[in-house]
Amino acid sequence: MHTRLLALLSDALGPAQAANELRWMNRALDSRLSLNDMVARRVRGEPLQYILGTPSLQILLSLPAHYTSGTQPFGPLNLLVRPPVLIPRPETEHWVLRLADSFLPTATVPVSLLDLGTGSGCIPLLLCHLWPPGTVNAHGVDISPHALRLAQDNAELCGIPSRLGLTKNPQNTFTTSSANFLAKDFKDAALSAYPRFDIITSNPPYIPWKEFLELPPSVIDFEDPRALFGGPSGLEFYHAISRLISHKDILNPGAIVALEVGHDQASAVQALMHDTGCFLRTEIWLDPWGKQRTVIARM
Amino acid sequence: MSSPEDIARLRQLKESEPLGNAWITWEQTRKQMEETALLLDDPDPTMRSMAADEITSLSNTLSDIIQNTFPSLLVPQSTTKQLSALLELKSGVGGSESSLFLSDMLRMYQRLANNASWKSSVLAKNDTEGGGIKDAIVEFKGEGAYDALRWESGVHRVQRVPATESSGRTHTSTVAIVVLPLAEETESHDEELFSMDDIKLEVMRSRGAGGQHVNKTESAVRLTHIPTGITVSMQDERSQHQNRRRAFQVLTSRLMDLKITREMEERRSTRRNLVRGADRSEKIRTYNYAQDRVTDHRIGLTMKNLTSVLEGDGIQLFIDAVSKHHDESVMLDLLEDKET
Ligand SMILES: C[S@@+](CC[C@H](N)C(=O)[O-])C[C@H]1O[C@@H](n2cnc3c(N)ncnc32)[C@H](O)[C@@H]1O
Repeated sequence: MHTRLLALLSDALGPAQAANELRWMNRALDSRLSLNDMVARRVRGEPLQYILGTPSLQILLSLPAHYTSGTQPFGPLNLLVRPPVLIPRPETEHWVLRLADSFLPTATVPVSLLDLGTGSGCIPLLLCHLWPPGTVNAHGVDISPHALRLAQDNAELCGIPSRLGLTKNPQNTFTTSSANFLAKDFKDAALSAYPRFDIITSNPPYIPWKEFLELPPSVIDFEDPRALFGGPSGLEFYHAISRLISHKDILNPGAIVALEVGHDQASAVQALMHDTGCFLRTEIWLDPWGKQRTVIARM
Repeated sequence: MSSPEDIARLRQLKESEPLGNAWITWEQTRKQMEETALLLDDPDPTMRSMAADEITSLSNTLSDIIQNTFPSLLVPQSTTKQLSALLELKSGVGGSESSLFLSDMLRMYQRLANNASWKSSVLAKNDTEGGGIKDAIVEFKGEGAYDALRWESGVHRVQRVPATESSGRTHTSTVAIVVLPLAEETESHDEELFSMDDIKLEVMRSRGAGGQHVNKTESAVRLTHIPTGITVSMQDERSQHQNRRRAFQVLTSRLMDLKITREMEERRSTRRNLVRGADRSEKIRTYNYAQDRVTDHRIGLTMKNLTSVLEGDGIQLFIDAVSKHHDESVMLDLLEDKET
């Protein structure tokens, strides 16, 4: 078998990881992706997720050829990923699946959901996919045009429309818009057209300055710094979110806020949510590796 | 008061009722035929020709009972008829030669599946450096896959000169196979088999800070079923979610297998001649290259043309023969039980 390629990959990744990745590359083989090229890109440090593409998906969506996309499984979905948009992480997949299980909206009272910094669209799209049709209308905002384009491609790929079609069948919907949620007038400028929300989700940039400088090359050389850097303290976006939540017209009674946080930020963010005075209960969910990963606040 | 044994015995009697009835019909028809045969020598020619006609019709009835009634009575006894199968292969003695033979066997079963129109997919596989496979788990989806493959469980032995052996000396190596039942994958698992409280789920490697800090794929998971100590590790898929689903699938199969084996043991107390299917350390078959033969030790069947077996056609004959042998022993035991 491809001993030379395996040796190259092993040097970069260690033998166990190399064997797995070579197997996945083999599965993704296709006229436009040769094993040699994939290994060369990987050895140069590019994340595997950007490499393992599915040209058939590109064709399906009639994307221009230079928009080469990779893929990342996310729950039962297989999402497109493209640099520089942040690759969905397994920690995010884990808490979104748990959120989907812990809360079941019904078609009689569909919920409205806001996702701040939607990136690939992974969070709202997975919820739209898992919850019954006609139970959720989701809206994602992002500042990056690359992210917005990718989120729309993914919505098309997952068959989640942006508005209710002509059919009478119930459907979940997902819309996107460009906005800066750090801006003071974000609520009035960007959300004036929307009803209040029942759920706010966000995996905002949370890496503080000191840790940002130490990120591995596969992250820092390929993923958008604006998707990662959370200000000097790493908490800048959580302050913006707590200001937003304190706005009297943003949440419906009984709303839930779910925020992903960095490895050591859970208590700080929990305190921020608590201090808004909007919530009855807050809790912290662990990720599969035992890190405090998600702050959940309920009204 | 009826004891659990009584209940089992009653259930078994009830299950064998249609078989008993068919046996009675068979016996009566046969007696009738013997009596009619006497009339073939009757002095009256009309009588003789009537007797001949009746014999023809009776022997048709008999062969119908043999060809259709009896076999059809055996089939419904299989409660596992609709199940798909998981096939686990593990290389045993013989090192790299065993791994090479394992990949030959894997190909053999995939061809067999192809012939039978089962959908096969490899759930997990560990390749070795020399082009062999250390172990693998393959799923065969399709009705009857489990019933057909279940008698493949056991130790398979190969005797051949390894491609790598320069002295031309024949080596003996083994591959161990376990075939497990595979239920339809449903969203919620079978409550009877396990409860989520009994499951320990671990993720394999540490990810440092994790989250946005890391974009390396770490998808390996391990499940432990605490009451039985069964563990399942999965790392073949790119996402944890997928690996977890597969791990649960394999765990469900192992637990279902335990359940089926237990039920078989319970019934076995009254049946004697069963193919010993549950003993998986038993050597069941030898593939001998020098003599171009395959021998199944349980039924003493030897077939020439080893290539045809490995191509998937010949293996079908073994599978048919072993499962026929099993069906026959079940029937024999039942009938013996009835007479005593
Ligand atoms: C860590 S990524 C999360 C992406 C996606 N939700 C996920 O979980 O994979 C953060 C996202 O927030 C977006 N973002 C950063 N600053 C923003 C801002 N001021 N306003 C809106 N979006 C912003 C980035 O473009 C990026 O897509």
